[in-house]
Amino acid sequence: MSTVNSAPERQGERRAARGRGRLLAILANQQMVLVVVLIVLVAFFWSRNHLFISSSEIGNLLTDFSGLALLSVGEMYVIVSGGIDLSVGSTVAVSGILGAFVMQDMLNAHDPQVLVLLVGTAICALVGATVGAINALMITKAHLAPFVATLVMLSAGAGLALVFTGGAPVGLDSTAIIFSASGVGPFSYPAIIIIVLVTILGLYLHASRYGRYTFAIGSNSFAARAAGINVQRHVASIYVLSGALAGLTGMFFYLRLGSGAPTSGQDAELTAIAAVVIGGSSLFGGSGRMSGTVLGAFVLTVVTDGLIFINIQPTWNQVVVGAFIFFAAALQALRLSSGSLARLLRPTSHAEEATDGR
Amino acid sequence: MADERVPALEVRGINKYYGGVHALSDVSFRAYAGEIVGLVGDNGAGKSTLIKVISGAHAPDAGEIYVDGVRHHWRSPQDAIEAGIETLYQDSGLAPDLTIGSNVFLGREKMRRGLLGRLGFVDQRAMEREALEDLKKVGISVPLSRRTVAELSGGQRQAVAIGRAISWARKVILLDEPTNNIGARQAIEVLDVMRSARDQGLAVIFISHTLPHVLEVTDRIVVMRLGRVVRDAPTSGFTAENLLATITGLDELRPPTSSPA
Repeated sequence: MSTVNSAPERQGERRAARGRGRLLAILANQQMVLVVVLIVLVAFFWSRNHLFISSSEIGNLLTDFSGLALLSVGEMYVIVSGGIDLSVGSTVAVSGILGAFVMQDMLNAHDPQVLVLLVGTAICALVGATVGAINALMITKAHLAPFVATLVMLSAGAGLALVFTGGAPVGLDSTAIIFSASGVGPFSYPAIIIIVLVTILGLYLHASRYGRYTFAIGSNSFAARAAGINVQRHVASIYVLSGALAGLTGMFFYLRLGSGAPTSGQDAELTAIAAVVIGGSSLFGGSGRMSGTVLGAFVLTVVTDGLIFINIQPTWNQVVVGAFIFFAAALQALRLSSGSLARLLRPTSHAEEATDGR
Repeated sequence: MADERVPALEVRGINKYYGGVHALSDVSFRAYAGEIVGLVGDNGAGKSTLIKVISGAHAPDAGEIYVDGVRHHWRSPQDAIEAGIETLYQDSGLAPDLTIGSNVFLGREKMRRGLLGRLGFVDQRAMEREALEDLKKVGISVPLSRRTVAELSGGQRQAVAIGRAISWARKVILLDEPTNNIGARQAIEVLDVMRSARDQGLAVIFISHTLPHVLEVTDRIVVMRLGRVVRDAPTSGFTAENLLATITGLDELRPPTSSPA
């Protein structure tokens, strides 16, 4: 249709510029805001304790960040598809524990260290994928809402973690701790591996057909189905992916602690969801940038580590995270009301007629 | 009507129940290549249900579907698409958060060459470019394909949805209320796009409440009422008055002033 022109857009833009205009344009770019927040945070913590910018603390920060980033990336796939995965925290614990049992046996049998870590990694990923597959079955076969299905696994997983361990950590693997603390410059080996993995998963979300379908399903699952996408199968695979990544995060915690602890990953699902939301993804699905999620995870890590670093009660951490989520959500609402939503709700046919008539 | 050609689309004896509601009862009709068939009826007449059955979104409880004389059983919309049937659903055929290019190629992504393609990576640039070309080919031009559909006006959105359906359709295209929610001028252009689809040899099925559009563009009109086909006749036999009477059922109370051919 030849007359679909940009006149109404221009009109809309003029209207926006007249109003809250430029400030909104800056605020609308959530990642820009996050970078500013990050700089402010780092400057604040540094002003309280100059050691905050030291090679050892930066190394700590990067390692802590990589664990959260891995979990958040899986959560983001789920959220972009229009779902939610509340079970990832429990999955971290369960997979880490089961992995620890196996690794402990192998260490007792004096298997080579490298083999132990490789097998442990595979077991953790497999356990996580299994939890994800159970979520997927509940959602696609029993047609439970993702919130409910993964809440079931959150609860069951946390319970099982205690049942398996009796509440105490499993094993003590000092070589694992040493491995997780060594690396190249400020980057620990786990951090390097995870950063590479996260980069690949980010590219995959934004540039692959799989990622495209994930966005399409979250944006309009009816349209996705009508376009011939097997929505059920795709959704199922996303929960398996999220579970497997949570399992790998379980391995990450094992490396840091040298043991599989039932408390590992506790409340981690909330932090991961927070990272995704702060990063600018819509909880309704269909939109978001992986770079935003990674930035969100980094900001949250800086807050958590920084508060500990300047000796503020770690309990305040959750309050601060809450405040971040609030501001992120408020920004998103602001952006919706000023931009796409306003355009969406505008009585377009009249506007077009008016401008076409010129 | 002694038509010796094989219809591009034929449905026979379609029945569909929703709980206790008999949404479609023994619906049969044909659509030939190179014609526009209007499918009209009041709200609840079963038009949208019929569309969903033909497009594979819903399975019929009984009945047969033929494409070019070959019987098909759809298990999903993908099966209908593979048989050459494209559908434009009322208001819900596009993913608003995706770009125009991604929407046009949704489910049929162009992959990158070589290893990246085999790993599942898409060629976004080629899709954006070709989407614009495909849309232009069917008489639709939209600005900047990198824009998301949510950023478009209602008319532009509809244009993209129609262009997507027509550029992919090989045999049949189902258009559910394509002129709804857009300006009068865009509506006329949609009718032109439909004519060009017909001239390219597609069977076009046009569902609409806007009777003047139906009378203007269709070659034949199928009227549905309460889940049944009550009339199937060339458009030349209808006037605005008797078409309305047939839709509402008034024709059964009082014979139409001019009888259909």
